[in-house]
Amino acid sequence: MRIKLESIRNCLEGAVPGTISTCAPDGTPNIAYLSQIQYVDGEHVALSYQFFNTTRRNILASPYARLAAIDPHTAAHYRLSLQYLRTEQSGPLFESMKAKLAGIASHTGMGDVFRLLGSDIYRVLDIEQVPGQTVPLPRPERNLLAALRAFSEDLCGAADLDDLFARVLTSLERNLGIENAMLLMVDETGRRLYTIASLGYSDSGVGSEIAFGEGVIGVAARERTPIRISHFTSEYNYSCAIRDNLALEGCLELETKIPLPGLAASCSQLAVPIKACDRLIGVLYVESQQDMRFGYDDEDALVTLAGQLGAGIRLLQQAAEAPIEATTQVAPTRPPDNGGKPLAVRHYAENDSVFLDGNYLIKGVAGAIFWTLIRDFVELGRIDFNNRELRLDRRIRLPDLSDNLEARLILLERRLAEHAAPVRIEKTGRGRFRLKVTRAIELFDA
Amino acid sequence: MLDERSPILDDANAGFICGGISINTAACRPGGFPALARAVGCRVAPDRRAVTVLLGGTAAADVIEGVRRSGAVAVVFSDPSTNRTLQLKGYDALVLPPEPGDAALAARYRAAFSATLVPLGFTDAVVQALLACPDDDLLTIRFSPTAAFSQTPGPQAGEPLVRGA
Repeated sequence: MRIKLESIRNCLEGAVPGTISTCAPDGTPNIAYLSQIQYVDGEHVALSYQFFNTTRRNILASPYARLAAIDPHTAAHYRLSLQYLRTEQSGPLFESMKAKLAGIASHTGMGDVFRLLGSDIYRVLDIEQVPGQTVPLPRPERNLLAALRAFSEDLCGAADLDDLFARVLTSLERNLGIENAMLLMVDETGRRLYTIASLGYSDSGVGSEIAFGEGVIGVAARERTPIRISHFTSEYNYSCAIRDNLALEGCLELETKIPLPGLAASCSQLAVPIKACDRLIGVLYVESQQDMRFGYDDEDALVTLAGQLGAGIRLLQQAAEAPIEATTQVAPTRPPDNGGKPLAVRHYAENDSVFLDGNYLIKGVAGAIFWTLIRDFVELGRIDFNNRELRLDRRIRLPDLSDNLEARLILLERRLAEHAAPVRIEKTGRGRFRLKVTRAIELFDA
Repeated sequence: MLDERSPILDDANAGFICGGISINTAACRPGGFPALARAVGCRVAPDRRAVTVLLGGTAAADVIEGVRRSGAVAVVFSDPSTNRTLQLKGYDALVLPPEPGDAALAARYRAAFSATLVPLGFTDAVVQALLACPDDDLLTIRFSPTAAFSQTPGPQAGEPLVRGA
């Protein structure tokens, strides 16, 4: 039976470095160690092109090569017959290999040396197992397919978007043993993501932002492809990226920066784009302090889940805006006057940032929503609102009608709760909520 | 014709390639696919002008066939704990039966390579299985290195060693 490439993917992860042999036109053989072998699909692998070396010279002259890959757990030894097809110098595959290479380079002390010039794509013509001894495969820690099924069933039970986000995180931990994760949504600019929920950090980081292209999460979003790193690298480390960027930004930007949560020295990182009907809506990110924690199978599991998650987010967002029944009008509410100093709510139109008693709360669309709600409360005594009217409210300036308004409300609700603010949002039904205010309010529009 | 120049391998490199490090061998059959096989030991002649690598005849059948037909061989030696890598090439390679002591050499090599790999997280069982070779399957390839290249990763990778330092 022909050996299928996907069944030996684990041998390509580099635990035992692969080797490649090529032949020069004069018949001189050559061998090179490979820092990276990337599984592309059932018939193709990609190798990293870092230097113009003998291997490269040889394959440009004659495209045939042989590659050896070894299973680090069983010692099973495979030889792949390859045919070089082309080199890619940008795009999802290239970026995914570049990120992975940064981890490998830093792990092997080659951080300054390894630079990806291209992804060389090869067709796999044949795979043979080299005769020899093997040891039994250690029992896997979990059955990923069973875990995936349990995860999927967990998600199916979500009552609303908030519940869906909570279920993703608890299920990551329960079914996949993942202890650190973030769920991020694309913001109104379409070039940035904001954290809507996280797992396993001392600060939730809800509301923190990351630009497309920055770190593993940002590259996954920009390229719409999963990015997986198996070793620590400062190049894709969030604490470094953010520190560097802070230095470049203005004052108001600094004040409104919520630190992205994340492990200080993350060794394994995996970011998977969340798409709904081919539109990027967010990123699911998991990380670990353990080297090589996530393999191809984990990546497949999370990509599968992200598909369900994307569809679920879209569905529950629509459900949150079902037609509103005639609402019973509540008499206008006055702010409570308990004699204390009123809460100073300051709004900066420049970026719709909102500060409560001088402490940064939120900005962007969620900031505009809060400012609209609190103004209606102060000026009209209004406490009951619904998603549908907010979507149409011109003061909020939603970027487009399909914007994920419900996710902004969840973000706002969480930020208010984390601040222990005297203003809270409480759900009163599908697509409806109430503003709960326990202190007098004073508005300042800057 | 006698080569009057000093051998390509100096003492340090000769010691390096006989250590507990990874050894891979390649050969080409004219018009065929490049062949590739892992070696299970190495010895260097006292004058350092000939290198002999030990292989399992079954696992390395393609390489052996290529060497028999062309005499050209490439052997790469790499220390996984330092990434130090050296490639030798030769054009007079011969496939020879093992000499007395080669089976013991292969056993010593397995133990030495395992001692290198176990601290890197591999189990001894995996290393032993990977390098297992029945004594009666052992064959050797002997060649005179005519070129040596440092392949320690980096921009200098592939540059020839200075001859006879």
